[in-house]
Amino acid sequence: MARKRIPLGLMLSSTWIGACLISALFGNFFPLPKWDDYDYEASGVPIFSRGHLLGTDFDGSDILSGIVHGARTSLGIAVSAVLIGSIVGGFLGIVAAYRRGWVDAVVTMYFNVALSIPTLVLTLVMVALFSSPNLDDPNAGIPREFVIIISLTLVIIPIIGRIARSSALTWTGRDFVLVAESIGMKRRSILWTHIVPNVLPSMMSVAFLAAGVVIVVEGGLAILGAGTNPGASWGSMLAKNRQDLAILPSTTIIPVLAIALTVMALNYFGDYVRLRIDDRESRI
Amino acid sequence: MRARIILRIASRFALVLLLVTFSITALARLLPGDPVATLFPFATDEQRAVYRADLGLDVNIFRYYLEWLLKFLRGDFGSYYASTGDGVGVPVRDMLGVALPRTLLLMTYTMALSLLLSIPLGLYMAYRAESRIDRLISNVLFGLASLPNFAIGLGLAFLIGVKLNWLPVIGYVPIAEGLGGHVKSMIMPTLSLSLGLIATFSRLLRVDTIATLKEDFVTMASSKGLSNTWILWRHVFRPSSSTLLTSAALNMAGLIGGAVIIETVFALNGFGMLLTVSLATRQYLAIQSLVALVAIAYMFFNLVVDLLYAVVDPRVASHRGA
Repeated sequence: MARKRIPLGLMLSSTWIGACLISALFGNFFPLPKWDDYDYEASGVPIFSRGHLLGTDFDGSDILSGIVHGARTSLGIAVSAVLIGSIVGGFLGIVAAYRRGWVDAVVTMYFNVALSIPTLVLTLVMVALFSSPNLDDPNAGIPREFVIIISLTLVIIPIIGRIARSSALTWTGRDFVLVAESIGMKRRSILWTHIVPNVLPSMMSVAFLAAGVVIVVEGGLAILGAGTNPGASWGSMLAKNRQDLAILPSTTIIPVLAIALTVMALNYFGDYVRLRIDDRESRI
Repeated sequence: MRARIILRIASRFALVLLLVTFSITALARLLPGDPVATLFPFATDEQRAVYRADLGLDVNIFRYYLEWLLKFLRGDFGSYYASTGDGVGVPVRDMLGVALPRTLLLMTYTMALSLLLSIPLGLYMAYRAESRIDRLISNVLFGLASLPNFAIGLGLAFLIGVKLNWLPVIGYVPIAEGLGGHVKSMIMPTLSLSLGLIATFSRLLRVDTIATLKEDFVTMASSKGLSNTWILWRHVFRPSSSTLLTSAALNMAGLIGGAVIIETVFALNGFGMLLTVSLATRQYLAIQSLVALVAIAYMFFNLVVDLLYAVVDPRVASHRGA
């Protein structure tokens, strides 16, 4: 069999996401000035300047270092929200599909109600009300990153949950599940050995898309003034610098590119996983 | 049967609305800190008592919620207080009168432009399916569909506004102050929201049209010697458009959030501005009413989707034999 060529899109997406993950994990060890060390001698220098490869903003904050640090915040928020959302949503969806009856009715009702609330409004209201309820002291209250993660998790749960439920429903009726039930296998072990492994791939495909949604919403929140602390994530970098778009465009365009590339890569992964599943199902 | 479906959808509509508005009320109420102290730092004790009554802080939460709901249903959206003012708030309805048309216009332009461009594009791609031009457009559209709208917006602002200096980067010009200026101020915001939608719509239409093109009646029409353009528009488009329609209604709901961000990027001072400023300054009454309005609009478009499915689906099912 001829060796399968890896699609170009997959290669580019993996490279970018890999670079982001390395920055997120080991960014502290990179030989860069710290993102919140303000170099007042070189504030507002363009890209390819001495000591500042991607330039600085008007506070003298190094842009490359900001991107590296922002990868940790942005991906951290995305990964936490999607991971917790997938676990909770997946659990609810699979249990609802397997138990049916009133459990299913309640869970489905919850998913429908939760999906009726606009994402941006939910997150915006939660961040604005929960973090820093005291206007005089913006640092009072629950840390912003935490509120953002929680509110985005609430957004993810019904999205993943609905997919998990409908996917689990198509598997619970299969012959091998009936066989397992008839030979007296415990319900819990049927769930773990037969249902969960089959539902996971379709959840994964949606999880990649959801991670993209989280990064976009985080950026949107930052633009609306409800993001993380200024400069700490990609979204809040562009929100902080976008007034300087006409004078020093690199400070806005670079974080925009980082967000755009990441979301495109995540969407590509999601599409790729979905195609692989369709492929597998059609061979069964 | 149909009455039961409508009743179910309507009761869900009412239930979600009550849940959303009540949770906002509860959230605002349960937060630590005195809203009167935040809104009116320099008020005297007597004034504070008046504001407390005005904000409904002197009654319990259920009674307060009920009073707010009755007012809201009558179209009284509460007052917006200026923190330094004399305590006479501006009615939120008056502020909406200025802000809301801007957002609605932006959403209307976006939807119109998206449908206008994506329908011919989708039909053309299906007609040339799997050709080189179809693959090229498909790849470009995949990229566009996954770009966040604020990324497109900031990119456009940089290229068209700053580099080329063709269009103003920020600010809104009402129609009354000149149509040319109005169009100029809306081109970039509309494009930022449209490009992603055009990609989504034309990709959906392409898939459905390819399926329709395999139908017998299309072969029949082309064997009668009708022109390809005529067949595409008169025979193929209608049966292929149901997914596109539902997606358009669904995206109208999603557009609310997008419009809020894009009008902030381009400083159009629309509904989004009103909402964010209200949140930042803790205008409880305004926040409650504004969020309720968004929820209603959002649910309305979802309702349209549900109804479209109910109307369109059986026909599609029998048509495709699925």
